[in-house]
This record gives sequence, C-alpha cells and structure tokens, in this order.
Amino acid sequence: MATEPPSAPPEVRLKDLTPATSPVEVVGRVVTAERREVTRRSDGSRRPLLSGLLSDGTGTVRFTWWDPPREGVERGTVLRAVGAEVRTFRDRPELTFTFRTRVGPASDAELPRVTPEEIPLRAIRDLRPPDEGFRLEARVVRVAERTITVGEERRVVHEGLLADASGALAFSSWTDFRLAAGEAIRVVGGYLRTFRGRPQLVLDERATVTRIGGEGLPDPAELLRAPPRSIARVEDEGGGEALSVEGIVVGLLPPSGLVYRCPICRRSLTGGICRIHGQVEGQPDLRARIVLDDGTGALTVNAGRADTERLWGRTLADARARMREVPDPNVLEQELADALLGRRLRVRGSGTRDEFGVTLQPDEIEPVEIDLEVAAAELSARLGTVRR
Amino acid sequence: MSRREPAWRVTARELESSLEEERGTGERAASYLLSPFGARMNRVVLAGAISPAEPVGRDDPPTFWRARLTDPTGAIAVTAGSFQPVAMARLRATTETHPAIVVGKVHLFRGRDGVAYISVRAEGVKSVAESDERAMLAEIVRQTLDRLDLVERLEREPGTSEAELVAAGTPAAWVPAARDALRRYPQVDRAAFRRELGAAVRRVAGDSGPRPSAHGAPSGVVVTRAPPPRPPPPPPTAEEREQEAAFLTLLDELSDVSIDGYADLKELTGRLAAQGVGAERAETVLNRLEEEGAVEEPIVGKLRRA
Repeated sequence: MATEPPSAPPEVRLKDLTPATSPVEVVGRVVTAERREVTRRSDGSRRPLLSGLLSDGTGTVRFTWWDPPREGVERGTVLRAVGAEVRTFRDRPELTFTFRTRVGPASDAELPRVTPEEIPLRAIRDLRPPDEGFRLEARVVRVAERTITVGEERRVVHEGLLADASGALAFSSWTDFRLAAGEAIRVVGGYLRTFRGRPQLVLDERATVTRIGGEGLPDPAELLRAPPRSIARVEDEGGGEALSVEGIVVGLLPPSGLVYRCPICRRSLTGGICRIHGQVEGQPDLRARIVLDDGTGALTVNAGRADTERLWGRTLADARARMREVPDPNVLEQELADALLGRRLRVRGSGTRDEFGVTLQPDEIEPVEIDLEVAAAELSARLGTVRR
Repeated sequence: MSRREPAWRVTARELESSLEEERGTGERAASYLLSPFGARMNRVVLAGAISPAEPVGRDDPPTFWRARLTDPTGAIAVTAGSFQPVAMARLRATTETHPAIVVGKVHLFRGRDGVAYISVRAEGVKSVAESDERAMLAEIVRQTLDRLDLVERLEREPGTSEAELVAAGTPAAWVPAARDALRRYPQVDRAAFRRELGAAVRRVAGDSGPRPSAHGAPSGVVVTRAPPPRPPPPPPTAEEREQEAAFLTLLDELSDVSIDGYADLKELTGRLAAQGVGAERAETVLNRLEEEGAVEEPIVGKLRRA
C-alpha cells in the first residue's frame, strides 16, 4: 500500500512545520472548527474568522482562517492550503490563512500516507496535551459507554482508562472500536487534549486501533490495587489517573452537605441559581468536599452522594428531614464535618490540579482500620534498633 | 499554585522543643515553626487527652478558650477564639478529659527574656474512641521516626541530594526541613527524644499511659525555654516593695476598667511615671513580679494577675 510517489509532494507535512518554512502548502483534515467574529480596534468593523485543528495523520495543528467562506468547511473536510503562514504560539506551530492564502477542498487520497512504524512509540508518562502524531501501546483498564448531547445531536462516546508500564491515561473515543477491559491495543492517530483539567486521549474515526500481544503491559487489576502514594508526590505530579492515596479528614470545603443541583447540568446551585442555566428548580443531593491530609500534603476529595451517605451513616432523606427540624444548612454541614473529621480513608480516583491544589474525583473511598498491635510492634522494633 | 499546608504529625514533646520560627514575607505569607526533629510546621495534628477548656480574658461571654492536650510525651495548650467558632464551641463543650484528635495552626509567642510559648490554634477538635487516638498516635510516631531517620541520615551524609531522597519516597518538603533542623539545633539530644517516643509507642500498644489527671486543671501555656540562669537578685528594699505594691494596685485598677480584663502595659508605665517611677524601674519591677509568679503577660503589652 504505502509506496511513496517518486517525487516529494509539494506540501509540507504538519509534523514538519516551522516558522522558517513559512509560507507553506499543506493538506489536512479539519478536526474541529469554530466560527467567531473579531471586532477591529481601528474602525469597530467586525471580521469573521474560523479557527480549529487541522490534522494530516502526521500531526495536528491549530489554524486560524481570516474571512473564511460562509459554508462548506466543517469537521472532516479535507483542505489544501497554498501560501499558509506558520507562526508559533507557546512553542507549537500554528497555521494562519490570510488573504494571500489560497484554500480549497481536497480529497482523502491527497492526505499523506503514514504507516504505524513511521510514527514514534511514546510512553503514557511522556504524553501531554496537545500531543499528537504518536503511537501508543497500552492495556484497556476499563471502558464504559456514555450518551451525550452535542447541540441537537445525540452521540455515543466510549470512555475509559488506558495504562502502560509508565502510567495511566483517560481516553474518550467517538468511534466504537469495540474496546474491552483487559485488551492490549496499539493506537495510532489519537491526540491529547485537556478535559476538565485532566489530560485525555481522544480517538475518532481517523484513529486506528490494533489488538496486540500485550507483553510488558500492566495487569488492570494490579494497577487498581496499587499501594497508596504520598499526597506530596501527587501534588508534585499534578494529579493523574488511577491514583491511590491515604490520609485523615482534616476538614470540609464548601459546598458540602445538602446541596441543590441544576436538573440540566448537575452543577451545585447558589441561591437557587445555576451559573449556566439561571433560575432552576434545584434537585437535592448530598456531597462532601473532603480535605484529606497524610502529613506530607493535602488534597480535596469530591465525594458524591453514595460515598457521603456511607461515610456519614445518614441518607439524603435523613438530611432533608434534619433540615426541616433545623432549617440551617450550616448546622447540617457542621454535623457532617464532625462525623468525618479525623476519619482515616483510602481513596482511589483521578486527580487534577488547579490553583487551589489537587482535587481527586473518587472511584472508590474506603475507611481504613489500623491494626494497633501490628503498629505497636513495628514502632517498638524501630525504636529498639536505635536504643540498644 | 498555592498549596494547602499539610498537618504535620507531631507529638506534644516535639512542639514543646520547637523554638525557631520562620516568618513568611509578602502577601498572605505563612509562618512556620521549625522543630529540632525535621518538621517545618504551619499546621499540625496531635492526638491525646484533652482537658476541659477555661476561658481566657475577661470578656463576657468569653471569646477565647484554652484547653490542654496531653499525650504520652508532654502537653500543649490548645486554643480557639471567636475566629474559630466551631472549634471554640467544641472546646467549650468539653466537660471532662477525653481522647481527642486536634488539627490546628501552631502559634509561637515569644515573651520577654525569649521565653517561647507554643500553642495550637484549633481548626478542628474531634472526640474519638481510645482506639482512634492510639491509631493516630501510631501514625504520629511513625512519621516522627521517619523524620528523625532523615535528619540523622543527613547528619551522617550531608551530601545526599534531595532528588535521591525524593526518588526513594521522602516528601520533598521534608529534606530542607531536616537540613534546617541540623543547622538550627546543633546541640539537640535526639536519643533522649527517641526514649520519650517509647512512652507513645507503649500507649499505641494499649498502655493507659500518663493521663492528664495529675496535671489537674489547665494551667495556661507551657513555658518551653527558661531564661538563661542569672544570679539570684538581692532581696528587695523597702522602696522596691513600695514600687511593687504601687504597680499591683495600678494593674488591678486598670484591669478592672479595661474591656478585655487586661491591664495595658503602656498605660501602666505611664501612670507609674506620673508617680515618679521611671520606665527602667518599672521594667525591673515587672520582671521581678513575673519571676515571682505574681503577674503574667499572656499577650504582648497586656498584663494580669497570675
């Protein structure tokens, strides 16, 4: 299949873009496209632009198209652009289509042919958004189907977790590759993006997935049983997937306790108002934003209703009944804080870091009991070796 | 990114032994208490028996409460004021000594003569079962031993790099804290501290350990460093006795009319000066009264009868 034409194609592959090569001719497929208007500062007139991601299988770059055609450019359209300018933004090349650039439709056949072997194999630990143009060999730790609504359209997305020997990575696939937990796969043509603060591998119809032997890849069960790591390290690394930490509850952050959620987006309401959907009829829910501390660091664990009920020993119905007795949410929050303070928990989940520190979205929260006899024996052995 | 200060696992003894402070600069900078055993504390967690609290000051109703947390190695004052309403409510609600876990911010007050008063301003006070207290104590001792091991390793091998230690699992913040401990407390007796930890380990094993009943009611903050020894002062003259009496009379008058129940030191020295007792004399009189235990200065510039 992949016999290169004898003469090099006139266009530059996206992985080879540098400002030094500008202007260039490129062929690529539109991955995302968004229309905007920019107001000119000089005369206040508005100028349309289209921006998004362009990919040719070797790389994905951001493009900005000034004065684009009114229609005919959408996700999946293959374009040939002659005289596109290359700039760098945050050390990554970007394309700009100006009035000097000639942009026209092209066919799939004009896209460069790429064999998987041409694409470098990367370890999960080294991948960062917005990396693309890599090959990945990993184990599917888990995968689940979810239906979401994009505008008018309902789409099925397959979400889950991949792992190799270096680490774990969330993925979301817009194409059904019939992935199953435990499988070892080779992925080509995916790219990384940041979704809700977490790096995520995105697979769409341009990606190819091949089953492989899987030697040297971790066993999914083993990965989920990994011993807890220090919170200081989790803070240093900025979160991650399939993390396990253990600590004591030193406090709760608001909003905790009985909250009301937007029926559309599930966000917590403030004074009956959703910050996206405005005034809505709130649905009651229980949550606990637990500050977990292991002596080396602290992070926030966002416990949902099931975990909160289990840890507290009170149900949502109990909490609502209590609210009718004492109609002060602070009292309830304080009772929850009292119940949780000092509790020793082991939490497994995925962590993200923002300016307030690391937040863990838990998959599992387990209270931990310390065996006092074992602890005492271990500690006196440690003291003994020094003293005598 | 601003990090939340971790709650250092410490014993009362380690807190009592900590005298070196590191004040942060800039906006919202945190201050730290450096321990001889490798902790650089802003927030701490302790486990022990907490006594009923007593109000501090003469506000009615009281706005500041102080209790005493005793673990097998020592005791430390735990305070809460109206800025920690929940912790204050917990302290007030304590009617008898019981096992507890306390999370809070360390507070160092250095009085005259460099005497350090360490207390913990409570953020959370939780009454727990004895087994939970012992479990917390086990973790406190384990992390304390981890830090001691690190301090001693850095003493033996000062060249060990932070990267090497972190790769082996040491929290990055512990390494500079351990180096500071070695630099700031060159004379400290770590072996004696390890022996004291033995009592905590026996408590983890189930020994009922020293209970604070022997201490009776909470007795204010802990004096962690005595002033340097001085020759015993000559017995006071009749004139000095008179000045002391004048001092105490003024102190009583001022504290009677003050809002917080304390006599303001500046005001007091001003009145004494009017009676012909100069500032230097007043200072001497105050020092002697403090040494005799007649007067205390729990807040800088605020005096009361001890």
